[in-house]
Order: sequence, then structure tokens, then C-alpha cells
Amino acid sequence: MPWRTLTGRQHFYLDHLGYIQFGEHLPTFKPKPLPVEYADIRLSREVGPTLTLNYLTPHGKWHIHSTFGDNHRMTTLSRGIEPLWMNDKDATDIKINDNDWVEVHNDNGVVVTRAVVSARIPRGICIQYHSPERTLSVPTSPLRNNRRAGGHNSLTRVRLKPNLMVGGYGQFTYHLNYWGPTGGNRDTHVYVRKLPELKW
Amino acid sequence: MNVRSQVSMVFHLDKCIGCHTCSIACKNLWTDRRGTEYMWWNNVETKPGTGFPTKWEDQENYHGGWEVNNGKLQLRSTSKTKTIFNIYHNPSMPTMDDYYEPWTYDFQHLFNAPEGSDQPTARPISMVTGELVQIEAGPNWDDDLGGSPVYAENDPNLKGLTPDQRAQLSAVEQLVFFYFPRICNHCLNPSCVASCPSGALYKRGEDGIVLVDQNRCRGWRMCVAACPYKKMFYNWNTGKSEKCILCYPRLETGQAPACFHSCVGRIRYLGVMLYDASKIEEMASLPEEELVEAQRSLVLDPNDPEVMTAARKDGIHESVIEAAQRSPVYQFVKVWKIALPPHIEYRTMPMLFYVPPMSPVVSNVAEGTIHHVSDNLFHDIDESRVPLKFLANLFGAGHEEFVRYALHKQKAVRWYRRAVTVGDVELATAERMLREADCSPEQAEAIYRLTSLCTFDERFVIPPMHREEAIMMMEDPLEHKQGAGFGFVSGPHRGT
Repeated sequence: MPWRTLTGRQHFYLDHLGYIQFGEHLPTFKPKPLPVEYADIRLSREVGPTLTLNYLTPHGKWHIHSTFGDNHRMTTLSRGIEPLWMNDKDATDIKINDNDWVEVHNDNGVVVTRAVVSARIPRGICIQYHSPERTLSVPTSPLRNNRRAGGHNSLTRVRLKPNLMVGGYGQFTYHLNYWGPTGGNRDTHVYVRKLPELKW
Repeated sequence: MNVRSQVSMVFHLDKCIGCHTCSIACKNLWTDRRGTEYMWWNNVETKPGTGFPTKWEDQENYHGGWEVNNGKLQLRSTSKTKTIFNIYHNPSMPTMDDYYEPWTYDFQHLFNAPEGSDQPTARPISMVTGELVQIEAGPNWDDDLGGSPVYAENDPNLKGLTPDQRAQLSAVEQLVFFYFPRICNHCLNPSCVASCPSGALYKRGEDGIVLVDQNRCRGWRMCVAACPYKKMFYNWNTGKSEKCILCYPRLETGQAPACFHSCVGRIRYLGVMLYDASKIEEMASLPEEELVEAQRSLVLDPNDPEVMTAARKDGIHESVIEAAQRSPVYQFVKVWKIALPPHIEYRTMPMLFYVPPMSPVVSNVAEGTIHHVSDNLFHDIDESRVPLKFLANLFGAGHEEFVRYALHKQKAVRWYRRAVTVGDVELATAERMLREADCSPEQAEAIYRLTSLCTFDERFVIPPMHREEAIMMMEDPLEHKQGAGFGFVSGPHRGT
């Protein structure tokens, strides 16, 4: 059977009660959740000039999970670190220049890295490619008692997506490494500020 | 007619995905040594951007290439008298800050750090001094428009763009970028060769590859300043200059250079072109707007019986002539005219040609409404997301007609193939486009095949290099002392 669905063909529409209830039966536009709905910046406080940005974590540019992240060729062809990409006008608002160190924080954790300021990134959004390891060039965070700052997932948290828990329907049958609930920990909201002092 | 053969190149920018596999292949093979850490004989740049070394195209600063003074070609960076004054300090020499300070990380610290409450982290250290450094620059620093207010907005090719066009290049819904892979152009009129006071640089007779004799090089670095493409590099460990060697040890064994061989997007083509060496000086001295055509006129038709006879007389092997007849580069450059030399205004006659990239399709807006069908089927070339003027500054000495011609033809080929395979475009419309783009259906098929369906052997037509004959030419080294290849810069006449 080419595809383990009810019909044996690829499905674009999912005629499943659970999916219909969650509005996931057809891929359609859904508005971006607000910071209050993410609820990841309730306790954190703005210290100094700060931006609230939507934080996205795309797959690593060259590494595969934590492997090859420290590849010398690729760190050289990048900026020697997994930087935070942000919009140029946003950066100007809080006087961040290209390659400045920034402190990115919310209730879940903190990232300290360098900023890449680019017109390519829309306003209100910042991006950090996957950077699970802290072994290369990660300074400490003054906002978190000068402890070592984290990786890209320090700012996100796992949210189980309920429709991934439904089963007993064609391809939606639990099997190890095949189908089961995953954490939708790819994006959230963060505070971004210029790092006042670089400490290792 | 003085017929010579040159291993020439085409990079099809419409196919480049910016993966840097070429750079890695080259780095691993040639410049993974002490003193060469900062060298990238092959690098890939984001355009718009300032590239590597930063702003290398700004010849007001670097003084690379040639200029015409009183009708005579002269190097911008140096001359016999200037050499004496600048011998210990050359003001147009790039410094380490123009490239970058190569770095690695203090990995030992991860093992040796004292016990503490935090995990240790490896800080960047310089590969030159071994000291801790702050990373402030790199060989691909402006990657994907990174730091666009500092780099993309200061690209020297923005010269002559309207304020609207400039604004468009930093508006998120309108901006666009493309990749620009670069190696040594193995020029016909190489300014590096002409600038060398030691006679260490030479252009190989049999294939035109420009090389540095590591025994003769005295490290004056005049070539570093004179090369307008900044593809000469100084090895601070050996005290000699080095450059891309077009992987001649691979070519001599019938293999494509490593950057060509590894190219994921299959953007690279390599083949022999025959040219008339006796006309180089004359053609390189012409006014800027004539240079693209002038260089094309140097390239000879390998199927012309007269050229073949002259080539045989000038010692070009039959197998090389045969390779020139099958050369993909000849088709792109001379027959189809869709591959253009980078910055021909530097007058070095680069032998690496680029097919300019197509921009994303844009709607045809007239009187406030979007027209999906219109009589002008080339409107999105003239109103291209990458302004035509920008591409013209890169590939036409600022003159748009060459780039426009190449892009029109590329678009016409696409529409023609769409009419043939998809059928949602009228064949009559596609044929009209071909006519307007100076292209026959047969030529469109050929362009399509060599662009999209090309095999390894179609992309790389490598002749036998005939080293045995080349070595014969070099039997008397004094004959070539202070010679500058076989261009027009002649060495002093000696003795009887």
C-alpha cells in the first residue's frame, strides 16, 4: 500500500471528527496568536530599551540537530555563531547595530547572541536558526544572574497539539517514530534588548 | 591572427542556489594550510552586497585593473615608476580588515575549564595570533542580505539607480537577492601578470590558466593590488602570493575543477575557446560601451576552416580544436550571447562569463489594474525586481542592452518551452517572443537542453592538456624571464 490512509492515496482533506473540531481538517489561514495567548512573557520585565518580537526558529542552516553545528567551514561562512536575525527598522528603534550583542529573553529562558540586521526580515519578527549546543561562543546573561545563556529552544516550550493525539483512523495510528504527539515548540514571543556588557 | 586556446567558463546564475559547496570543495582541497586560512579562491557572494574582500568592486579605493591613458592601456595600481615609490607600502593594497581575521574556537577550554556551576563555552580565537578575538567580519558576512543597511545598501553596483529602485531593494515585499559565485577569471589581459615585478606570474600557453611560480614569487604583492577581482591572495606564512589554479592537476587528468565538479545546482560549464591573441591590446583599449562586443570578437569560430588552419599552424593540437567545437562556453558566449563577462570595464578580459539571473515574475500594471495578458511580454525584464541597471553595472560596464538581450532571450526560451510542454501559452505567442528576442526555435531548444537537461559530459568538455608539448615550450627559462604571458606587455630585449 503506497500510503497508509483509508483510501491508499494522499489526503489533503481530513474527514475526521477530531480534526474538524480543531479546525485542522483543511490547511487554511489562521491568525497569528497574540503574546497573551502564548503566555510566555507574563513574569519577565523590560529592562532598558526593549522590543517585543515574534520569535521563530527555522531548521539549522547547515547542521542536523546538534551535529555539525560547530563545523569550522560553515561557522566561517556564517557569522561564527547562530545570530538573531531582525528587521533593520526594528533594530534602529532600540539602537542595535549589525553584529551587536543582544539579550533575548522571556519567561522560559534567555539567549545571548549577535544581531544580524536585515531588510529581509519583516518588522515584528526575529529569527534564530536551530542552535541546540552552547559549546561555541555563548556568553552569560546579566538578566539571569550571569549564568550561561541558552540555545534556541531555551525560549520556547513544548505545547502538545491535541489533534496529534487522535488515533484509530487510517494513518493516525500510534507507532514508535511514526505517529504520535510532538511538541509544537517552534515559535513564541520574546523581549529583545542590547546586551549592556559582554561577559563570558 | 595568433590563435590561442583558453579553458573558459560559464556560471549560470539563474541556477545558483547559494549552497557554498563549491567554496567548501575548494577550501578543503587547496587552502586548508597555515597562511591560507583567510583565502577563498572560490567564494559565493550575495548580491546586492559588498562581497569579499569587502567592496572589492570599488576601484576608486583598490585601483585594480586597467585604464586607458592617452590611448594607452595602463595598470591603475602601479607602473615602473610607481613601483619604486610604493615598494614598501602600496596604498591600494587590501589589509586584513578588508578580508577578515580567520578564527577558530578555544575547544581545549571545553575540556580544561575549572569545575563551576555553568557549562564552559569555547570562545573564538584568531588563527593568525592565537589570541581571543571578537568576530567582526567573515568571507560571507553579508550572506542573504545580512547587515543590509551596512552592506547591500553600499554595493558599488547601485551606481546610477533611481531613488525608487534603491528603496525597492530594502522593502521587504519587493526586495530580491541573488548569488554570485566567484573564482579567478583567468583573464586574457591579466593585470596581475602585468604587475608582477618578479615575473613570477604567467598565463599557460596551452590552456590560458594564470599561475604564480612559487619559486620566483618574492611576495611584493603588486598582483594583489592589481587584480580588480581581488582573486590574488598573499600567504603570510610562506611570504608568496597564491591564487586559483583552476585545479590544473585535475584538468590534466581529465577531471573538472573541484568547484565545477561539486556544484549542486550544476550552474558551471567549462570548455575551450579559441581566440586571437594579436588583437587583445587593441580590443582592451576600446571605449567602455564597446568592450563586451570587443571581447566577443576576440573569440574565434572553431568551425571556420580558416581559423582551424591558423590554429594548427600556431601549434594547437587537433584534439583541442575538436574540444573547442564542442565547447558549451562557446555556445553561451558567442553563439547565443547570453553569458556576459563580469566588470568588463576593468579591461582584463575575464574568461569566466555569467548568465544573468532572472527576477521573480511581476504583474503587468497599466492604468491601475493588473493585466495578466499583455502585448508587451518582456515588461518584467525592464521593470525587473533586480533593476536592469544593477545587472548592467555588473555585466555590461553600465550599459543595459547586453543584459536586456540575455534576459529577453532567457524569458523567450522559457515561454517557448512552456508552450511546447504545458500548452497554456499559444505557440504563436511564444514564437513571436523568440523572434523579438533574436532566437530561433532550434536555438531555444539548444539553450533549454544545455540549461536544464545537460549531462556531466555536456557541461565539461575538457581536452587533453598536452603537457608534453607545453614543457617543450618552456625548455629555455631565460626566454620567458620577465615576460608577461603572451599579451602585449613585452619583456626587455637582451643580448645579441
